[in-house]
Amino acid sequence: MGKGFGQPKAVPTRSAAQLMRAFGKYCAEAKGDERQVEQFLQANLAKLDEYLLEALPHIFPKLLDDGLFGDRQNVASLFVAFGIAISGFPLGDRALNLELSFAAYRVALRVFTRDNFPQEWAGLQNNLGNAYRDRIRGDRAENLEQAIAASELSLQVHTRDAFPQEWAMSQNNLGAAYGERIRGDRAENLEQTIAASELSLQVRTRDAFPEKWASTQNNLGIAYGDRIRGDRAENLERAIAVYELSLQVYTCNAFPEYWARSQNNLGTAYGNRIQGDRADNLERAIAAYELSLQVYTRDAFPEKWALTQNNLGIAYGDRIRGDRAENLEQAIAAYELSLRVLTRDAFPEDWALTQNNLGTAYGNRIQGDRAENLEQAIGAYELSLQVYTRDAFPEKWARSKHNIANAYRDRILGEQLVNLKTAVDLHQEAAQVFTQDAFPLSWAENQGCLAEALMMQASLTDNANDLDMAVALLKGALEVSVPGSPDFIDSQYLLGNALSRRFERNQQASDLQEALKAYKTALDAISPEHYDREKIWQALPTTQSVLGSRLVREGQWQEGLQLLLNSVRLLSEGDDPLAHANALYQTGRAHETLADWDNARLYYRDALRLYDHLNDQPGIAQSRHGLGSVLASQGYFKKGMAELQQARELYHQLDRQNRVAEVDNLYQAAQRAEQQISEVPL
Amino acid sequence: MTTADDIFDQSTSNVQGLGLHEIPFTESPPDLDSETLQYIFTGREHELRRVFNLFQSRERRRILVYGRIGIGKSAFLREVLSVLRRKRPQMLTAYISLPADLDLATTALIAVAREMADDEWAQRQLYQMGIPTAKILKERSAEVSGSLGIGGRLAEKDLPITKPLYPTVSLDTLLERAQEKYPQGVVIAIDDLDKRNPSAVRQMMHDAQGMLKGRAWFMLTGHPMGITGDLLTSERGLFDLQLKLEELDQPTTYKMLINYLNSARISNRSTDPNDARSVLPFTPETAARFCEVSLGKPRLFNRLGNTVLDTAANMQATSITPEVLAEGLRAAAPELRERAALSVQEERIRAFLEQRGPISDETITYEDLEQLGFRSFSDILPFLERLEAADLAHQLDQDDTKAFAPIALPPALE
Repeated sequence: MGKGFGQPKAVPTRSAAQLMRAFGKYCAEAKGDERQVEQFLQANLAKLDEYLLEALPHIFPKLLDDGLFGDRQNVASLFVAFGIAISGFPLGDRALNLELSFAAYRVALRVFTRDNFPQEWAGLQNNLGNAYRDRIRGDRAENLEQAIAASELSLQVHTRDAFPQEWAMSQNNLGAAYGERIRGDRAENLEQTIAASELSLQVRTRDAFPEKWASTQNNLGIAYGDRIRGDRAENLERAIAVYELSLQVYTCNAFPEYWARSQNNLGTAYGNRIQGDRADNLERAIAAYELSLQVYTRDAFPEKWALTQNNLGIAYGDRIRGDRAENLEQAIAAYELSLRVLTRDAFPEDWALTQNNLGTAYGNRIQGDRAENLEQAIGAYELSLQVYTRDAFPEKWARSKHNIANAYRDRILGEQLVNLKTAVDLHQEAAQVFTQDAFPLSWAENQGCLAEALMMQASLTDNANDLDMAVALLKGALEVSVPGSPDFIDSQYLLGNALSRRFERNQQASDLQEALKAYKTALDAISPEHYDREKIWQALPTTQSVLGSRLVREGQWQEGLQLLLNSVRLLSEGDDPLAHANALYQTGRAHETLADWDNARLYYRDALRLYDHLNDQPGIAQSRHGLGSVLASQGYFKKGMAELQQARELYHQLDRQNRVAEVDNLYQAAQRAEQQISEVPL
Repeated sequence: MTTADDIFDQSTSNVQGLGLHEIPFTESPPDLDSETLQYIFTGREHELRRVFNLFQSRERRRILVYGRIGIGKSAFLREVLSVLRRKRPQMLTAYISLPADLDLATTALIAVAREMADDEWAQRQLYQMGIPTAKILKERSAEVSGSLGIGGRLAEKDLPITKPLYPTVSLDTLLERAQEKYPQGVVIAIDDLDKRNPSAVRQMMHDAQGMLKGRAWFMLTGHPMGITGDLLTSERGLFDLQLKLEELDQPTTYKMLINYLNSARISNRSTDPNDARSVLPFTPETAARFCEVSLGKPRLFNRLGNTVLDTAANMQATSITPEVLAEGLRAAAPELRERAALSVQEERIRAFLEQRGPISDETITYEDLEQLGFRSFSDILPFLERLEAADLAHQLDQDDTKAFAPIALPPALE
């Protein structure tokens, strides 16, 4: 703060004064036409530099002495005009432009004091608030506190009764600053945003101030889109409704820039939408971003172009329709485009955000080398953490920590146990910010991922504690996650895995029961619109076949068989033939349990054929085992014994002695039965 | 100039040229009340004997009739019922084809209620389900006064089909009422169990155990693939008789042809297989060949018979010579395919089968399946069954594999 004050007098000011003079003249001729003013700035782009920033506070007396612009008040107004123009100028160095506007406003504040010019003072406070909100230099959290303070100062003068329009404007801006606030409780801040925006709309009605009404609606949309309190699905519906209202005024022809902004925001709301078909929503998001990019071109609005590219990347990363591998390539391309403008120096925060997103896209990437992609992901997350420090951006810091933890969990290079340990530690770091009270959903997600890492660790170390902890974490996470959401399904599925693994260790029936319940809940919640997660894609049929075969063995054959047949159908369309073969085998077993020999034989033969094709020896052995048993049960002893013989040899090669013994018993039983039959005289 | 009337007369005279007043072959068996069934139903003496033996006992029984598609399950069921109607006037016989989405108890309730036209309670049950009743029901006065002029009776079509709340209890009540009028008991025949998905049927049977063991006789039909295989094993003991219908042998098929032709013959009826006139307009030679081609499957027999006679009439032939028969069978293959309206996938499998000859789950290779776009035989089984239902394939009688073969008809001329 206070940059530009108290500098040595040796600052060269001549060119700065010249620029301001020219600006003043141009402004007078342009008569407030923003586009012409913008053209002026564009023509003088090279002069908008650090020197100008240093010189601005010192040229006031010079300009006053010129007499070109009249009295102190007029000169101060010139500074205000410059501050406004430069703060909205889309070209050049954005960080510097904002500093320039600060400097200009501060100069003007020396003239427009609260006592002498309360109205102008309040207007300047409002502008300062906006500049602080957008400021890139300095501490972001602190800047936002300043923005709120400035808007509140302006509201001391801009009362609703005396200056309804200004009051509405400051309320709007106050709301916008609360919306971005880092300090304080995020949920509460968003409530403040909503409250302030709604106050503002009391004056900014659609009829009286359509443009401003649309602008505030847009802010309200953002707040609803981010809102933590209330029902998330409902909030997103409100956000969408509000953006669509704003687009009624912000048409592409009349307000191309605002139209593009609302389209972009609408895209974001659709991207996050919970209600409706997820696949459809993402298509709508992509369409909205692409509309927005028609106006937000790289040349005209580099920053907004880059941010929209970033959003487009997110939507492609989540996209359900189209080829997943291709969508992820699109996402990566969009992020990389975005990073050409969002450089670390100019837009550190957006740069960090895009790096984080790029990390996620690499983490999910299908094309290219998986090990290499995960290294890229880790690298990108680490870059994002250079800006996202815990103090400055606690929430984003925690998000990146959470993400990098997941990448370490999946990492292929390096020692797996070390990677898993790193993942566990990173999740625990993230959990320091993602607490249940402050960020219930992120907390739940982080807990779920931590549990997954612990489960993987447990399978390597055989540590029972890790498994117990995973079960506890998942149960905790499920208490807060939204039923039916992807996280909810993931957690149920993981809980099912954790419990059934624990069951394998301790053979406690209650664990199996609970696992069945968790799987069932996950399955009930899965509908095509949640298929955006590849994991669930595969988990669904695989889980169905595991659950199905368990249910059949537990006596719930009707339900179990239905699940098995479903899983066979899904897997027959998928690209995991081994899982398909397993499901066919399980279906054969289920039919055998039901003494439906014809179908058992049919499915065992199908499993055998597929295992054979995949050259999966254990699979071949178990299918022949099953087939032999069924054929013998049907009285085809010779055929059955031939299958059993082959199964026996394979089990022997695989060193599965228990199985060899089982097959031997069956074989002998078949042999005895055959002899008895042949002894019966016809 | 030929008018439509002339064409109609020409058609009639073409059929009459064959010595028949109509083409007797039909795709589904005639109605229970029609006398035709009596004339054309042939064979199955052994199976009928087993069923009727059961009816000599006072004990109520449950009978499952199963067999492949088009083997004559419905005809058999109807034949049994029509005999019972003639021989046991004091027995109520009810027939119903299993409707979609109904449980067995409700289905049985509908079947019985439809036969009890005079029973007002029964008719009310139907009425409440939106099923047309034999008699117009009188509104109870309480309902009329309660309607406050909002509009008397609802039109039937406006009534939602509401299943009875407690179908098993309703059925039991109805059976109790029926038994007062029909002291010899009630037989409920539920046909086409297999038209529903196997697991639904399995569950249905499971749920209906109590009902099936209740006050009535039950006869059910289904085909052995899928459901019945399970029923036979998982609901063991539920049925007193599980009757499998097989393909008819050659002599029986020949007799069946005689019966069909006689049911439509204008004059000179003869049912003696040794009398060449019994198969007119066929010759004994073409009749035998025709029976051979129809594989002892009544529905295929009917479908082919229809095409052969139709072709002969179009040719204005008076006798089915080997040439006429060949022409008729040639016409049958494309006709069957046209009727079947196969999907691309079904057609691909049909062509594969025709080219390859018999295939089975035991002999088919992974490469074969891959060529068809599948990974497992169980995936193509539904298509093969569909081909079988369309008489474009038939299942071979093998218990240790599922094997299908193409139906051998002479290729079409084109």
